[in-house]
Amino acid sequence: MSLGRFILKRALQGVFVIWGVVTVVFLLRFVTPGDPITFIAPLDASPALRQRIAAELGLNKPLYVQYFDYLAELVRGDMGYSYISGTEASARIFARLPATVELAVVATLVAVALSIPLGVVSATRRHEPADYAATTFSLAGISTPNFWLGIMLVLVLSVQFDLFPTSRRALGFVDALGYLAQGNPNGLIVWAKYITLPAITLGTYFTALITRLTRSGMLDELGKSYVRATRAKGLPESLVRYKHALRNTLIPVITVLGLQLGSLIGGAVITEAVFAWPGLGTLVINSINARDWPLIQGCLIVIGTSFVVVNIAVDALYAYVNPRVVYD
Amino acid sequence: MVSPRTVRNLKRELGRSALAKVGIALVVAVLLVAVLAPVLAPHHPLKQNLGESQLPPLGFSAVTNETTSEMVNGSIEVVQRERQVDASLSHPLGTDSLGRDMLSRIIYGARTSLLVGLLGTTLAVLIGVTVGLTAGYYGGKVDDGLMRVSDVMLAFPSLVLAIALIGLLGGASLRIPDPIVAAGVEPGMPPNIVLPGTVIVVVALVNWVWFARVARGEALSVRSEEYVKAARALGASDASIILRHVLPNSLTPILVLATIQIAAIILLESSLAYLGFSGANLSWGFDIAQGRQYLSTSWWIASLPGLAIVLAVVGINLVGDWLRDALDPGIEGEGGV
Repeated sequence: MSLGRFILKRALQGVFVIWGVVTVVFLLRFVTPGDPITFIAPLDASPALRQRIAAELGLNKPLYVQYFDYLAELVRGDMGYSYISGTEASARIFARLPATVELAVVATLVAVALSIPLGVVSATRRHEPADYAATTFSLAGISTPNFWLGIMLVLVLSVQFDLFPTSRRALGFVDALGYLAQGNPNGLIVWAKYITLPAITLGTYFTALITRLTRSGMLDELGKSYVRATRAKGLPESLVRYKHALRNTLIPVITVLGLQLGSLIGGAVITEAVFAWPGLGTLVINSINARDWPLIQGCLIVIGTSFVVVNIAVDALYAYVNPRVVYD
Repeated sequence: MVSPRTVRNLKRELGRSALAKVGIALVVAVLLVAVLAPVLAPHHPLKQNLGESQLPPLGFSAVTNETTSEMVNGSIEVVQRERQVDASLSHPLGTDSLGRDMLSRIIYGARTSLLVGLLGTTLAVLIGVTVGLTAGYYGGKVDDGLMRVSDVMLAFPSLVLAIALIGLLGGASLRIPDPIVAAGVEPGMPPNIVLPGTVIVVVALVNWVWFARVARGEALSVRSEEYVKAARALGASDASIILRHVLPNSLTPILVLATIQIAAIILLESSLAYLGFSGANLSWGFDIAQGRQYLSTSWWIASLPGLAIVLAVVGINLVGDWLRDALDPGIEGEGGV
């Protein structure tokens, strides 16, 4: 099977998982106590008014009709209207998405850029100070609750030294680029100042995790006979390490990264809460507290779908890095 | 079920690794603190004392802004004053914004974290191992179906799913009498242990998938072994084959994964408590959320409970590393947070 067909097959499986996600999210409303109308209608609403609201929202139809209506609307990109603000749910969600994507991408890039060299150094200088420093950092990193780390960063770097803003997001990356195009680099600087602490907060766990995985993977690979063979053949040590050992190390690292994507999104939710970052995470928490079902469902579907999509991309990357992979 | 070889491996690895010893020491310490909380805590963890609020830990002093109303020239005026606050010997780690003793709250917080970590993991193991062994042993349609369910579960980040479930179901907790207080040893302490029931069920519901995947893999590899075929030929029922042959063979990776999951669930519980979704008022995450508001005046309220989480989780992770290195179950056991 070619790489193209493999990706197509995974995409088809992905569609089924997304359908499962949508179904679970849809059913969530029916297994949770509390009638949504109680949250929408005025407190003194008469039964007639309540019925009219239910009819307007289609909440009085049988379950399966509501389900197929919901699917049909979803396919057209319609997630319904927020119960609270009356605005389109999809518009609200997609307005919040860039902030979360920016945060997740910056955190991942920083994590990958720091952790792989750190893991390699740690493995190639085993039992040297650099190794102890890297292992201590990675143990602390996977054991620290990220929201607490964020608060400590605010305490030291914002409250004490006033280097970074304590919370919020001044402008988006696209806006910052717009200013840059007009010859004003300040937008980018402000953007960077605001995203630094949230990105460190979100990225530390992953930096630590990938450092650990890279270190143990490199140690495994460097002990294998093919590495001895390449060394015996007279290849320079740098080529042995980076072309051969590291490449094989990255294969399990990529798998775990794909599986850990969920924790990246979960981490983003709490990071956003700590920094009042106007992304999907704060939106999902607010809409759960307000029982704003169209928004809750929309957010969960967008989160679940992005997880599935990125995982397919990770699988493709995996197949690309590892030529031995059997596309089954 | 623990073979002499396993015990030998555990001992050898323990002898080799100083970190494993540190891990065990930390875990034992946290367990003792949690069990003996009423004896160790110097004050009632919920007792407010507004006269002693925001006291710094020993060795520090703090300046707080005090707003009082005073009679000035015959009219009442609001006066803002800076007040120097010194540490008090009776509150070695200081007090929070309501004058509750930080040390006592941290000691009691260990109970919440460990109860949720241990009970949540146990429940996740029960669900996950049952599903995983069934899927792996029977294979075919049962396997496909259960694994698709687990794919859908994995698409929801555990924290997001947990927030959604708790936010929508509401938090319920059980109160069980504290045996130490009931025995009359420390009558001034809280009489009940609060068991955050919904949180325990939800953390299990969002984490069982990891166990299902590991158990399924083990069952798949064991089911075609000769001794399983022999047991089947002898007429053993599926249930007895799973319980007597497949389960014991998958215990090692499950044990290692469970250790790491306890750490992950403790972190998850603290996140839920921080976001206000756990309903617990004696939890490290809850105290960090309280302290967030007083960051510029009372740094210790948010900082110290976080250190407690880090110490507990570092200890459990070190024990997990020790078990993994000693037993070598061949899993990358990194569960989600």
